[in-house]
Amino acid sequence: MPVYVDISRCIGCRSCEVACKRVHGGKGHVNVHMAGDRASVPIFCHHCEEATCTMACFSGALYKDGERTAFAVEKCTGCGLCRLACPFGVVWTDKLAHKCDLCQGRETPTCVVTCPANALSTDFEAASKRARTRAALVAAYGGRV
Amino acid sequence: MIKVDKNLCLGCFSCSNVCPNQNIVREETEDKRSIHWKKCKEECDLCVEFCPGKALSLVPFDPACEEPTLTFDLVACKICGARYATEPMLRRIEASLPRELQKDSTGLAWIWVCPVCRRKIEAERATKQMVLGRSRANP
Ligand code: SF4
Ligand code: SF4
Ligand code: SF4
Ligand code: SF4
Repeated sequence: MPVYVDISRCIGCRSCEVACKRVHGGKGHVNVHMAGDRASVPIFCHHCEEATCTMACFSGALYKDGERTAFAVEKCTGCGLCRLACPFGVVWTDKLAHKCDLCQGRETPTCVVTCPANALSTDFEAASKRARTRAALVAAYGGRV
Repeated sequence: MIKVDKNLCLGCFSCSNVCPNQNIVREETEDKRSIHWKKCKEECDLCVEFCPGKALSLVPFDPACEEPTLTFDLVACKICGARYATEPMLRRIEASLPRELQKDSTGLAWIWVCPVCRRKIEAERATKQMVLGRSRANP
């Protein structure tokens, strides 16, 4: 269950970025980008089905574990191939690689728990249903709902 | 002692990371990185085992032999021009991914774009999609 973003809700507060850093020993895996004055977008791992980072990792440190793109730090040698193999630029390497691990060991990813705007969710159905409902409301009443 | 095959080395620093004795020295500037292998007398082959390019092998110690150094120019990002990787590393990524995954939906060969620009592109794409969604809902 990757984390889904409803960017129309994101207020660009960077709470997710900071919270992610806090629970990962100072190395965060979320980057909130400002798309001019139109939107703010938290960027992090999509846990791709065809995860190119895992295809590039020679040591087996990055691998698919169900829906999750998992990372076994003890196998990583810090070669940096994964950093170059992620189309979204969301693996970092400084000596060792680090990326979103969906806060393994916690019930809900920290960014999801933290977001004050409810922009992040692990429930794709709920996230897309909410977006559809809102779109319908907008169509019926106009303006942003 | 370590022997390096210059044609196979990717310039990735994996060997330097795993060496417990600081025998493989790395140096990086804005546009270059270099690796220097000191004469190693240890009974250890960690670097050999963990080289993704299979560029290293162990040979008998020879005091007359010179210590190898390799220098790589870093490739400039197609979009912002920042230097971000060695060419052999990027070629290696190309070789390990299926072709259809090497271009994004707009046809961009993202491997030759730096990770910072990749994140920006993703943010722009998501924003456009949202704006489009809104105008569809409220024409
Ligand atoms: S790190 Fe990148 S390539 Fe790997 S699963 Fe996440 S988004 Fe996909
Ligand atoms: S840095 Fe670590 S996780 Fe990334 S490709 Fe190299 S060994 Fe695999
Ligand atoms: S915490 Fe929520 S509102 Fe704040 S930047 Fe992250 S996604 Fe956006
Ligand atoms: S690990 Fe291998 S490919 Fe990487 S820098 Fe060392 S010798 Fe070169």
